[in-house]
Amino acid sequence: MQDIYIYNNTFKGLLCLIYELLQKKIKPYNIKGLDYTPNLFDNLIKLNLKYDGDIIQKFIEEFGNYNFKIIYYVYLSLNAKKEIIIYYYLKNYYNYYRNLPYMRNLKCVDEALKISKKVSAECHKFKGFTRFKKLKNNVYYAEINPDNDILELLSIHFKRRLKNEFWLINDVNRKIISMYNKKDFEIIPSGNWQFKLETSEEENIFLEMWQQFYETVSIKERENLACRRNFMPKKYWKYIEEVKKEL
Amino acid sequence: MFDFSFLLSYNIYGEVNMDIKEKLEILTDGAKYDASCSSSGSNRSGKFGSTNRSGICHSFTKDGRCISLLKILLTNCCIFDCKYCINRKSNNIKRAIFSPEEICYITINFYKRNYIEGLFLSSGIIKSPDYTMNFLIQTIELLRKKYHFSGYIHAKAIPGASPSLIKRLGSLVDRMSANIELPTQESLKLLAPNKNNENIHKIMNYVKNNRGKNFVPAGQSTQMIIGATKETDYDIMKKSSSMYENYNLKRVFYSAYISVNKDNLLPTLKIPPLKREHRLYEADWLLRYYNFRVEDLLDSENPNFNILVDPKASWALKHLDNFPKEVNVCSYEELLRIPGIGVTSAKRIIKYRRHFKLTFKDLKNMGVVLKRAQYFITCDNKFYINSTYLNKSFIEANLVIDNDIKALPYGEQLQLF
Ligand code: SF4
Repeated sequence: MQDIYIYNNTFKGLLCLIYELLQKKIKPYNIKGLDYTPNLFDNLIKLNLKYDGDIIQKFIEEFGNYNFKIIYYVYLSLNAKKEIIIYYYLKNYYNYYRNLPYMRNLKCVDEALKISKKVSAECHKFKGFTRFKKLKNNVYYAEINPDNDILELLSIHFKRRLKNEFWLINDVNRKIISMYNKKDFEIIPSGNWQFKLETSEEENIFLEMWQQFYETVSIKERENLACRRNFMPKKYWKYIEEVKKEL
Repeated sequence: MFDFSFLLSYNIYGEVNMDIKEKLEILTDGAKYDASCSSSGSNRSGKFGSTNRSGICHSFTKDGRCISLLKILLTNCCIFDCKYCINRKSNNIKRAIFSPEEICYITINFYKRNYIEGLFLSSGIIKSPDYTMNFLIQTIELLRKKYHFSGYIHAKAIPGASPSLIKRLGSLVDRMSANIELPTQESLKLLAPNKNNENIHKIMNYVKNNRGKNFVPAGQSTQMIIGATKETDYDIMKKSSSMYENYNLKRVFYSAYISVNKDNLLPTLKIPPLKREHRLYEADWLLRYYNFRVEDLLDSENPNFNILVDPKASWALKHLDNFPKEVNVCSYEELLRIPGIGVTSAKRIIKYRRHFKLTFKDLKNMGVVLKRAQYFITCDNKFYINSTYLNKSFIEANLVIDNDIKALPYGEQLQLF
């Protein structure tokens, strides 16, 4: 049988579980979320976890800021093996300590660094690709479809950038929405939420101007659609106003 | 309100009351040949907006270039007659002029919808350089002071404007640039008789000496047109290198010449020399980040780049006796000279090899392009391919075949080797 440890689908829950496994020197076959469908050989184990205090603070103290950031970004990724990668990454900390991020010949280190890079790269892209529409009630509303769970990171960016506007960013892939009230943002499931998506009257004026700018600023003699696709993958076009009509 | 009445005496067919959308079209069309669209190097934040140190691309045009800034002209009216320019006085085209409020209106609304990272404002010259400069300053002042805009602003400095105006403009923007346009004074005289090299150098010098947190924090850049005049790549690179040295430029942009005007002083090119432009960008990178000097790459006998092989690989082929390098021991400088190893992977190699002996697999993981590097390296004293093949003609042939120029655009995101 293979021991699959189950956590409650939250980052804190995962940290508590890994903390327990490392403390008790238990080697899991895999770590999975609640929605995992087991196969014949799996032995699902749910530990009764309790951690008094701030588990996040504990991890930062134990493993350092840099390593913490790496595992957090890995957690936000879409990668199917992310939990076990995080586990092995942290486990190896006790072999290499401060040198851990340099041990790129270890698969878990190499994978973790690659995945976290991917997540931050996608977040960076969406700092550009996110498109807001102004609604009738003066709220700016955007829909995005990133592969990874970048909504929190992205919200930190827009909190600084559009700090004096109300805005909403809807991650349609994950069905979660970030709501900003000119002070702070909060991320909640968008499931049952009914939005009144009436765009403001001036919206079309700017959209048209933007589309016209987009067409005009391109130089015909240099056209290179492959290059464009390379930098702006088609999978993102659905919510990017100036290109979605080309889909 | 800005007084436009002078336009009437300028025989300019502009219409002040034109629809804003039409203006935007005309004044974007006149600005699009400027290559720069970078929004990096500044860290500003305030009531409304912020900048991002590494720059952000918001969209990509059909030509594969990054859109980061709203790139527009204040006006495409111009008293000058530069031969290569679409906006030159002698062209019979539709003219338009924005008012400062109109520019703010578009910028702010585009910014709030996250279409753009900020504004790139350039202009034709109306009345006089100082007059135009004042107009630019007034616009940007409005944006910064009345609307508290803290996004990125890149402004063109108008050659010939007085230093006090350069100073004022520079204190409002993140980046300022003055285009050198052509690599030699001789060509400039021929194609841009109203311009003079010295005025442009004056601006660059002024910016260099005054740059700081509150004056052009993101530095200055310039642009050269490639293929409109007879200069060689060697001439162009020498010019770039001297400008980097003398004025601390952030970037020199190269813009393949596109025939927009008919003139017997101009070449008639059907297709812009994009591959040549690409080679120049690669070489530019080698100068700035790879410790190459122009003389390593070109000389008066070979004054132009090889279109088939990139400049770094060309250099390596000429110096095969320097290779192979053992990646586990050679220096950072030596790593940088190996085709297929870029700045990032060279830094990683240095960082990681202190902790373990690198294998080819590790190199691959670190982003080394083995397809190119394999001829020039050993890893733990082993070759990646059968070393008996390693002779110049074999390597050259392979590199040429693998040399698929992916037609990288010339914005923020150019990553090479
Ligand atoms: S000064 Fe020369 S390059 Fe600039 S807008 Fe006028 S004609 Fe064009």
